[in-house]
Parts: sequence; C-alpha cells; structure tokens
Amino acid sequence: MVELRDVSYRAGSTLILQDVSVRFRAGRFNVILGPNGAGKSTLLRLATGLAKPTHGQVLYDDRPLDAFDASELARMRAVLSQHVDLAFPLPTIDVAMMGRYPHYNRVPTSHDRDIVRRALEMVGMREKAQQPYPTLSGGEQQKVQLARVLAQIWNYDEPPPGASRPHRFLFLDEPTSSLDVHYQIHLLDVAKSLLDFDCTVVAILHDLNVALEYGGHFVLLERGRIALEAESPDAIGQADLERIFQVRARRLDDNGRAFWRFGL
Amino acid sequence: MTSRRSFAFSYIVLAILLAAAVGASAGIGAFTFTPPQMVRYLGEAAGWIPDRAADTLGRNVFLELRLPRVCMSALTGAVLGVSGTLMQGLFRNPIVEPGLAGTSAGAAFGAALIFVLGSGTMLSFTTIVGGLAVPLLAFLGAFAATMLVYRVSTSFGKVNVFTLLLAGIAVNAVCGAGTGFLSYIARDPQARNITFWNLGTFTTADWRGVALVAVCFAACYAWAGRSGKALNALMLGEDEAALLGIDPEKLIFRLLLVNTVMVAAATAMVGVIAFVGLVVPHVLRMLRSSDYTFLLPASALLGALSMEVVDIVARIVIPPAELPVGIITAVVGAPVFLWILLRDSRQGSSGFYG
Repeated sequence: MVELRDVSYRAGSTLILQDVSVRFRAGRFNVILGPNGAGKSTLLRLATGLAKPTHGQVLYDDRPLDAFDASELARMRAVLSQHVDLAFPLPTIDVAMMGRYPHYNRVPTSHDRDIVRRALEMVGMREKAQQPYPTLSGGEQQKVQLARVLAQIWNYDEPPPGASRPHRFLFLDEPTSSLDVHYQIHLLDVAKSLLDFDCTVVAILHDLNVALEYGGHFVLLERGRIALEAESPDAIGQADLERIFQVRARRLDDNGRAFWRFGL
Repeated sequence: MTSRRSFAFSYIVLAILLAAAVGASAGIGAFTFTPPQMVRYLGEAAGWIPDRAADTLGRNVFLELRLPRVCMSALTGAVLGVSGTLMQGLFRNPIVEPGLAGTSAGAAFGAALIFVLGSGTMLSFTTIVGGLAVPLLAFLGAFAATMLVYRVSTSFGKVNVFTLLLAGIAVNAVCGAGTGFLSYIARDPQARNITFWNLGTFTTADWRGVALVAVCFAACYAWAGRSGKALNALMLGEDEAALLGIDPEKLIFRLLLVNTVMVAAATAMVGVIAFVGLVVPHVLRMLRSSDYTFLLPASALLGALSMEVVDIVARIVIPPAELPVGIITAVVGAPVFLWILLRDSRQGSSGFYG
C-alpha cells in the first residue's frame, strides 16, 4: 500500500498540492483523474519519491519513503512515464535490461536475462529484441519501456508476497497518451495483470472512459486537493464530472456499465 | 544484450593494434630505431644487459625524448577518448567533446596564465611550484568552463543542443581571447610556446609530465570506469535514472570533476587537441555498440591508438619539421563532426534535436 499523509507541495510561492491524504491499496488498479494543472503529476512525483513533499509524509507499507535507500526502492518501485527518447542506437534488449540495473552489479546473471526475455515476451516485443530502440515506432518504444519497468520489479519465479517478499509498486504517468487504441489496451492489460502478483498499481489516465473501465479505485484531483474519492465507477456522478472537468457530461448505458459522453 | 564475448574480442583487437602502433611510434622519426636497438636500450636502462656505452646519444634520444613522447601521446589519447565518452554520456548527446564544450580551452587559458604572468616570479613554469601550478590552474579553468557550459545548456534536466553549442562557442571564444591576449603581451619565447601549444604538441614530453598524466588518468579511470551502467541509465533522462536508484546530480558532478581533472592534466602538458574525444566514441558506436560499459574501456584503447598514429604522421609528414598534432586531428575530425551533424539532421527528429 502507498499512503500519502497530509501531503502538501509548494513550488516557489505556488501551492500545488494541499493537505492530500490518500491510500493506494495493493492488488487494485488505482487511478488518479483530474483536469490539467490539478496536481496529478506532482502527486505521482511525490508518491514515487522523485520529489519530497514540503509538508507531510509518503509511506510504502507503513514505512516512510525516506527510510528506504535509493537502490532498495529501485528494486520494488517502477514508473512508466509518457515517452522516453534515446539519442543513441541501443538495441531494444539493452534498454529493457536497464530495468535489472538495480539488481545486478557488473554483469547480468542468467536469471536477469531470463526476466528481461520474459518481460519482452509479455509486451510482445521479443522478436525485436536486437533492433535499435530509436528505429521503433512510438507505440513499440512505449512497450519496450513497459518491459523495462516490468523487469525492474517483476520476477516470474518468486513466492507470493508475504513476510519474505516485500510488495511491489508500479506507477503509470499517462502511459498511453501517445498510443493508438490497440497499444493502449494492450499496455493497460499487461499492467493490470500485475495485480495478480499483488502489486500496487497507480496510474494517471486521461481518457475517462478507459480509466473507469480499468480502475478499481478513483482519486479525482481539483486544484491541488482531492475533490472526490470513489471505490467504483458508479460512485462518480454526472454533477461531479461536470464540476471538476468543466464540461457537460452525459451518461450512456453500455450493458449496465457507465459510458460518458462529453461536450462543452 | 550484445554479447560480452564480442566486447572482449574488440578489446583484444584494439590492444594488439595499440601495441603495434606504440612499437612503430617508438621506432619512427628523425632518429630511426630498429627493434633490436630498442630492446638493447631498454635492457641497458633496466640493467639486464651490460652497458656497452657505445651509442649513448642514440640511447639518450630514445629513453629521454622518444619514449616519454610515445607514452605521452598514448596517455593523452586515452584521456581524450574517455573524456569524449564521459561528456557524451553526461550531456546525453553524441556531439560533445572537451574541445567543443570549453574544457580544453579553459584548461589552456588557465595554464597560459602561469606561462606568461608567472615568468620571472616564483611561479615560473620552470620551477617546481610553477610546474605544479600549471596543471592546477588548468584544472580550475577547465572546471569553470565546463560547469558554465553544462549549467547554461541544461534546463529542466534536459540538455538543449543548440544552447550547448552556442555556450561552447562563447566560452571557447572568451578563453581563446584570454589566451590570445596573454600570448600578445608575452615576450617571444613564451609566445611561441603558447602558439605551438594551442595546437597541441608532444615534442616537449618528458617523464615528469608522463607521470603526472598517468597518475591523473589512472585515478580518474578507477573512479569513473565503472559508471557504464549509470551512464546507460542516464540516456533515459535524469528522472528515469533516479528511479533506477542512481543519484543523477551526484553522478554528473562526480563525472564532470573526473573528466576535468584528466583533461586539465593532459592539456597542461601537451596543449589543446580537438576532435579526438568526438571521433573516437563515435567510431566505436558505429563499429560495435553504444553501451557505455563497452565504450569506456574501448575509448581509452582506441583513443590511445589513434593519438599514437596521429603523432607518427605528425613526425613524418614534413621532415625535418613537425606538424602540431592538433592540426591533424582537426583536419580529420572536423569533417567527421560535420558528417554527424548532416546525417542526424537528415534523419529528422529521431536524432538529438528533441
């Protein structure tokens, strides 16, 4: 579980997040929603440890984030961001192998290689393992990044989480914003499959309908505060969406599930 | 993962070529030494074979002039090659090298201060204090110049290439003007020293300088040589590297420091030699891999090898005079630099303009 306790973040004189307290539980697809500038990315930076809160605390399984050292944290927490460019023509498999960097010292073990191979297989990029990363399409590059991130925290032959093995945490920062619909679904399905592994998944998603389909816990931010927290898509009402996103929203019915159409 | 064995093969090939170049470089020049001669001189110097004292001139030329020069050019090449690799990794860009980013020019300016202003005082470069002050001031100049270029060209954790090149031009111009001014007010022998040394030369190499550069290079390489993984991770960006457990600020500061120490030591001894740091990593990237765990050792070997070859050319191209090595590296390196720019701009946005 990732917990933010009374977290505030100030950049210069601007208060970006104010007294945010929220828990992202393990085994659930947690989704952060909100309009541009609501503080979603800042919230994610604080939750991943990339930035420190001005006030308040971030805890992983009740242990403050400051108490972890960088490489320990890197073995249990991974982040997939929007897009990663590479100026140098490294083969795909070398990029994915970077996910294992926190785990090995100088030379990867055969176990590391195995994990990377399987991660590439999971995202469907096994055949392009030797192709230079910059020559891949945007969608393929993002898949490789997902494989790298998986390789960082995922291990196919580990026992189920418990006292012997700490939980893992996966953060997704608008991972699908540049992807077409096929890649988008594929990527979110792979991320979702990590839930079986009792991973905590926290994602910022832009497409509200996609978010409602995948999410199991919703945090809606508005101007640096939590405007609404919901455990199911049905708990998010028309009035909430219209107020938070400043749109007109119309609820359609898709075999009993909500599907939203928006207009101004 | 590109196989480790192919890396090992590359190292071996480079090492063999380097050994051959060192041998050739030791033999060729105004004095030509045959291999048996060289072995005899070395044996006599080490005391393994009795000193026949028949050919003391040849032996002195070989041991006191030729050998330090051969060592100095190999060391300088290794320094510049590794430095180019480190800087390209730090700036996340294939067109950076100590000559372009102001490191060498800053070092040259710092050293010229001692050459000119120190003369006649206790800081004269011929005294012991002055001899130490030259690399020290070179280091200060190089560090200030590199930090300035890095800070100016980095915003929000991303290096802007255009700003980088422009900042490099500006810093190079300022340092060049400073060095030029110093050579203008210098009295003649010093001035000639500076001019020659602005183009890079190994003619003044001696064992003391070789020792200084060797110690600096060994210490720096021991500290930075294992940063291959961290530099690879830095390719993804500072945030991504931090998420992999690397402290990017510490890494960048440490590597800039290490890089500056090496380049300053080499520049203080042999002057400014441009483009080696650019071309060496580039050739290795094309031939084998952009993996920094490979590039760091390989660029030391290829840097040393190419510098050795350049120095041989410098000695034989216009006998009995010698060409400054900086001229040769610029003539070869600048077209390569232009070619990289041209190729990447044709490839479009996938290059380093993003």
